Amino acid sequence: MNHNPHAPETFADRVRNIPGGEHLEMCYSCGTCVSKCMIQQKVEPEYNPRRLLRLVMMEMEEEAYESPTTWLCSGCDLCYPACPQEIHISGVIGAVKSLAVEKGYTSPLDTVSVDESLCSGCAICVMVCPYEAPHLIEKIVDGVNDRFSEVDANRCMGCGICVASCPTGAIAREGVSNTDIVRQIPHEVVKTDAPSLMVFICDWSLRADADLEILESYPENVKVIHIPCSGRIDPQLALLSLRSGISGVLVCGCKSGECHYQRGTDVANCKISMLDRMFDQMDLADGRVRFVQIGTQDRGRIRKEIDQMLLHLTSLQEVC
Amino acid sequence: MVDAARHPNIEIRAYTEVERVDGFVGNFKVQLREKAKYVLADRCNGCGDCAEACPIEVPNYFEMNLAPRKAAYVPMSQSVPLIYNIDMDACIHCYKCVEACGKLEAIDFAMEDKLVWEDVGAIIMATGYTHFDPSLIPEYGYSRFPNVITAMEMERLNNSAGPTAGNLIRPSDKTNPKRLAFINCVGSRDKRFYPWCSNFCCMYSIKNAVLLKQMYPDCDITIYYMDIRTPSKGYEEFYDRAREMGVHFIQGRPSLVTEDEETHNLYVHAEDVSLGKVIEREYDMVMLNQAAIPQLDQNVMSSLMNISQSPGGWFMEYHPKLRPMDSPTDGVFLAGACQGPKDIPNSVAQGSAAAARAGRILHSDEWEIEPIVAYVWEDRCVSADGKKCGICYNACPYGAIEYEQGQAAKVITAKCHGCGACVAECPHNSITQMHFTDAQILAQIHAVLAKRPEEKIVAFRCHWCSYGGADLAGTSHFEYTANERGLRVMCSARMDTDFIYEAFRLGAGGVLYSGCHPQDCHYITGQIIGATRADRLKKAFDRMEMTPGRFRIEWISAAEGDKYARVLNEMQDVLDEIPKEELLAEIEKLRPTMEKRVRRLRSVPGVEAAYQFSEKLENIIVKEIIG
Repeated sequence: MNHNPHAPETFADRVRNIPGGEHLEMCYSCGTCVSKCMIQQKVEPEYNPRRLLRLVMMEMEEEAYESPTTWLCSGCDLCYPACPQEIHISGVIGAVKSLAVEKGYTSPLDTVSVDESLCSGCAICVMVCPYEAPHLIEKIVDGVNDRFSEVDANRCMGCGICVASCPTGAIAREGVSNTDIVRQIPHEVVKTDAPSLMVFICDWSLRADADLEILESYPENVKVIHIPCSGRIDPQLALLSLRSGISGVLVCGCKSGECHYQRGTDVANCKISMLDRMFDQMDLADGRVRFVQIGTQDRGRIRKEIDQMLLHLTSLQEVC
Repeated sequence: MVDAARHPNIEIRAYTEVERVDGFVGNFKVQLREKAKYVLADRCNGCGDCAEACPIEVPNYFEMNLAPRKAAYVPMSQSVPLIYNIDMDACIHCYKCVEACGKLEAIDFAMEDKLVWEDVGAIIMATGYTHFDPSLIPEYGYSRFPNVITAMEMERLNNSAGPTAGNLIRPSDKTNPKRLAFINCVGSRDKRFYPWCSNFCCMYSIKNAVLLKQMYPDCDITIYYMDIRTPSKGYEEFYDRAREMGVHFIQGRPSLVTEDEETHNLYVHAEDVSLGKVIEREYDMVMLNQAAIPQLDQNVMSSLMNISQSPGGWFMEYHPKLRPMDSPTDGVFLAGACQGPKDIPNSVAQGSAAAARAGRILHSDEWEIEPIVAYVWEDRCVSADGKKCGICYNACPYGAIEYEQGQAAKVITAKCHGCGACVAECPHNSITQMHFTDAQILAQIHAVLAKRPEEKIVAFRCHWCSYGGADLAGTSHFEYTANERGLRVMCSARMDTDFIYEAFRLGAGGVLYSGCHPQDCHYITGQIIGATRADRLKKAFDRMEMTPGRFRIEWISAAEGDKYARVLNEMQDVLDEIPKEELLAEIEKLRPTMEKRVRRLRSVPGVEAAYQFSEKLENIIVKEIIG
């Protein structure tokens, strides 16, 4: 709150005036938000929401705009329910970000791009995006008024949910485009006694480094493909894996409500259960494709899930 | 405790609950429920043979349920008086204890709860506090992960008389832990649960760390903290000693505790704030230092004793600085953590102080009170005519009014604190308050509105908060409108509707109705009574189509001098915006309505005289001196 109505408006005042930025001064720097968030561990060592709040309070405007924290926060709100001062931290960061965009700063993130020659203007990407980054524009092409999707690079967090949802394959992001992932699926798998398993793992669902080591500890028959969010999973990728001779597909995402990209895990859940229903209609439902949601406290659960899946696939093979 | 039990003037009533409290300072009547122990106090010699014979085992609450106790038990080995007790919820009536007791014949299964009345002069509340249940914070995994324990459980595990005879072991595999983490502020300083600092947790976590370090020097101990608070004498030096002994202190509130399912080792995720880096460390055991919170039945005790509670639920003291051991009810005193989280030295100090305060009452034959008590004009009270009323009885925050239909209401002077709630609430003006009579206050209103009343703002201030706020505004040199005329009453509950109507009838430009914030009220619920009345008034003025802002309700504490100045300046702005002719027209328009509402005031004893005196005063001051 502004104690002196006649004082000029400061940077902190401007942040406070944006909805979400109100409780700025309540922060007592306990560090809960920093350790609850996985961005510092996984992406950017300089990422620190607590420090961004300090930068705003200390009127360090330029530094706040240039800080990676401003741009990397995906608004998952894991920190919000944990904050002892009930500060909506992603709201404050969002306020700083919108001021930065006003000042002409741009997001340093890898964002998605739309290939207009393929885009049909169906607006599915507009519906699935958690960040309202894509929107439709109208353009005259060859004398015909046509609709295209356009992505606001300052809003896009690069989760790839839209990439997986685009029916024409018009959206891509470096590293997670369809071709990038398909290239990692082997063309043909040699049949052995042991069942083979394809694991699509969301990078955020495994908090501990020890869990990542578990993934690497499995032999050849368990193949791992890292995706930025389970929402990036396209049922076709699962089908493609099965066609190449892999016995089963396991998709790992975060627990609902803990998704790094807000609703990616829910989107993935919908897609995999849709695939399940499809298999059911074709009398093929035998648990070959499974979606698991791993919570922040489920240390070591990935090993259990993979072992269970392998056991299940072995029993399927024996039946055959 | 043993000393207390031996003292000729001290009687300890163990396993007894207070059921009811009547009377007032010096003359309390207390109803006690002496619960059935099923053991005769005068025969039991505390030998413990009954416990040995008893075949039933239930969790021992004193040992934090880490060990069993028998159905025939004493709460702890140092219990005073050392008399056994049979837990009827657990007893299977095998009567082996009766056999074991033998010739003493101390066990009596036919015993029943007894209700007794006692006369007491003063009451000291020392009901203590309880602990926050850390399983409400799912991130820390208490009750899901066996090796996450609370500070009280650690206290028992580390006690030579405890269930493990002082051998610190992990609950999961009974091995000695080598790496321990203590997490401070679990549930305290946390807006989701309890916003306060629990005062002593920093010190006991350092104490536990030092104790463990002495017993197991190779043990690795880390304390996760937000701030270490060591404000008393010798505390900071103790903190230094812990660091010298090699206890690690990490500033950073852990956000998550995870567990390895096989080893049951725990991983604490926290940011080391000084490094700005997230760290994940492995521990054998994690101890949570929970918040100190009011007893779960604090509300029941509070209504039983008629003492108010602070916003957090602790018992409220009479004055935070000057009378921290007195409750708002005379003759009831507070000692220890029932008033707020406190460590042992502070509790002992407050306990001794409360005993001294209580002794003052017991030693004197007379009790001095403030002279501002309420007084009933019996001939005016409608209850005496057999009409149903009792409004004063319901308004009194102290239960100081005795009311029975057919008899005039009666004020128990010793209980009255002089808030004036009954005086203002009485619809027939049958009660008055000494030194704050209607006549006196009305005379003041007349005096301040004697000349150019439309320019004046009459500010009713409560003695304890808004008056202090106005005082602070003055001593801090905050500028506010010179048209303000402040009138002091003891509580916002005394601000009678008649006063406000009379002020507007006389043509006041504005009226401010100010008092304490609800939780700060000096008279328990006085502010609530005042606030309800003020809201009713505001609605009435809205219906009369008075310009909004001329009547204003504000709750201003003694520390809010700036707010007092701001509110009055805002009221002045409202008056400045209305053209003078319009304001005068509005006053004239409303005058008949106001007249109607105060028509019965003149019959109140003293008011007529006050009016005449005011007129005389007006003649002297306004017409002759000012001219």
